Amino acid sequence: MSAPKSTTTGLKKRENAILDLLKKGLERKCFDTVLIPVKVPAGDSYVWVLAQDNSLLDDASPLPPVMPVHGAKAISSVMRRGKGRKRIATVMRPCEISATIELSKLGQVELDNVFLISIDCPGVLPLSDYLENPKKGGDAFEKVFKQWGNGSVRPICQVCHRFSMPTGASDIHIGMLEAGERDIFIISNSPKGEAILKELDISPKKEIGSWKDKVKEITEERKNKRKNLQEELKPGVVGLDRLLDTFSKCINCHNCMRVCPVCYCRQCYFDSDKLKHPYEDYLFRAEMSGGLRFLPDTLLFHLGRMAHMSLSCVSCGSCEDACPLKIPVSQIFGLVADETQKLFDYIPGRKTDEPVPMATYKEEELKEVED
Amino acid sequence: MSEHRKPNTEHRNWQPKIIAFLCNWCSYAGADLAGVSRIQYPPNIRVIRVPCSGRINPIFVLKCLQNGFDGVLVSGCYPGDCHYISGNYYARRKFAILKTLLEFIGIEPGRVQFSWVSAGEGEKFAQVVKKVTDDVKKLGPAKRFVKRV
Repeated sequence: MSAPKSTTTGLKKRENAILDLLKKGLERKCFDTVLIPVKVPAGDSYVWVLAQDNSLLDDASPLPPVMPVHGAKAISSVMRRGKGRKRIATVMRPCEISATIELSKLGQVELDNVFLISIDCPGVLPLSDYLENPKKGGDAFEKVFKQWGNGSVRPICQVCHRFSMPTGASDIHIGMLEAGERDIFIISNSPKGEAILKELDISPKKEIGSWKDKVKEITEERKNKRKNLQEELKPGVVGLDRLLDTFSKCINCHNCMRVCPVCYCRQCYFDSDKLKHPYEDYLFRAEMSGGLRFLPDTLLFHLGRMAHMSLSCVSCGSCEDACPLKIPVSQIFGLVADETQKLFDYIPGRKTDEPVPMATYKEEELKEVED
Repeated sequence: MSEHRKPNTEHRNWQPKIIAFLCNWCSYAGADLAGVSRIQYPPNIRVIRVPCSGRINPIFVLKCLQNGFDGVLVSGCYPGDCHYISGNYYARRKFAILKTLLEFIGIEPGRVQFSWVSAGEGEKFAQVVKKVTDDVKKLGPAKRFVKRV
C-alpha cells in the first residue's frame, strides 16, 4: 500500500527517490537483496525485512519515524552464523552504520558482501510516544523532517552530532539537507560505492558544497547542544549517591543490554552464574550494609556495561527507548562514552580498518594512569 | 564468613583493607623478594596473584569496592617486560577506562592505583604498598556502593 501520489509529502518523495535507486540496483543485479525497514501491516511499527523483490520495496521506508530494532542488530542477526555469497544492500541511519562497523571490527558482521547506504537523519521519535498514536506520530515526524529535528525527537537525537556521514565509512551516502524540495544527493563514500553508482549510471553530484556547509553548521550547533545537555545532566547523575538514586528505579530487566547494537556478547557476564551468590553471602552483605536491595547488583550491571561497551557506544538511544522505567540510560552512557572515547581519540564507526581501542595499544601512552 | 568483610568503620583505630592484584611474573615476585629480604611494609594488603595484569577485569575492581575493600592496587610488569609480550599494555588501557569510570561514579582516584614493579624491586614494592596505604588512610573507609540514609 504505497501512499497515494497526490498527497506525497517531502519526506515520502525523498524516500521514493531512495527506493528507486534500490529497485534499479536489484534489477541490474548490483546486489541480490535489500535489508530495509518496512511498515508492519497493522501500521503501527516498522520491522527490518530482507526484501528480494521490488514489490516489497513499495512498502519500505528508508527513513521510518521510529527505531524499534537497531539496524546493526538486524544485520548482525543475518550474519550470526557467518557470511554468504549473496550481496546485501542496506539503508541505515548513521548511528546504525557506525554500530555495524563496530560489529565488523568485533567479528560479528562481515562487510565483504554488504553495501552500506547511509542517510541524513533528522532523529527518531521516542518509541512510546509513537506507539500511543502512530498516525499522529507519522505527522509529527513529517514536521521533524521539515525542521530537521525538533523537540519531539528523542533527547539523544536532539543532540546528535553524527546525524550525517560526510566522510563516513558507508559506501554510499544519501544527503537530504539543502537538496531542494524533492531531491536527494547521492554521494559515493568508498570505491565500492563508486562502482555501484557507475553500474547504475548515476554520476555522483559534484556540487554538494551547500549540503556540506549545512551539515557542518548543524554539527557544530549539535555539539554545543550535546555539551549543554551533558552539563545539565551531570549534577543529577555524577557521584555515587546520585548514581544510586538514578538507577534505583532500575528493575534489572536488562532490556538496555539486549537492544544495544554493540553489546555483542552471546552470554552476558551479568546474566551468568558468576553473579549468583550463595544465600549466606547475601545475608552477610545485608548485615554489613544495613540492608541489601533485590534484585542485587543493579548498579554493577550498568557500570560493567559502561566499562565494557562505552568505547563502541554510538549514542543511538536504543537503550533509552527500551527502558520501561524511563531512565535516561543513553544520555548517561553518552556522558561516559564521550570521556572514554576521548582517552584514545576514538570515534566508533569512523573507519572500517581502525581497530577498537581494546584490541590494540601504543607503547608510549597513558603515563598519567601509572603511579 | 571471612574476616576481611567485617565492617571496620566504627573502630577508632581503623585500618584500611586493600586488595592487591599482582602479576605472577614481576610484581608477585617483587613482593616475594620484599618478604625474603625482610623489608617492612604495611600489613593492610591482601594479595591476589594473577597470571598477568592483563587478566584483571575492571569488574574485579568494582566488586572489591562494592564488597567492602577500601582500596585496590593493581601491579604488573614494566612496559616491554610482559611475560606475555603485551598483556600489561592492554591492562593499562583497561585501567585508563576504569579511572574515567571511577571519576564518574565519584570514587576518589587514590583508592585505585596502578603501578609497575619488577621481580627485582622488593624495595619498590614496599614503597608502593606504603604509598597506597597512606593514600587510602587519608581518604577513610570506602562507601561500598551503598547509600546511607
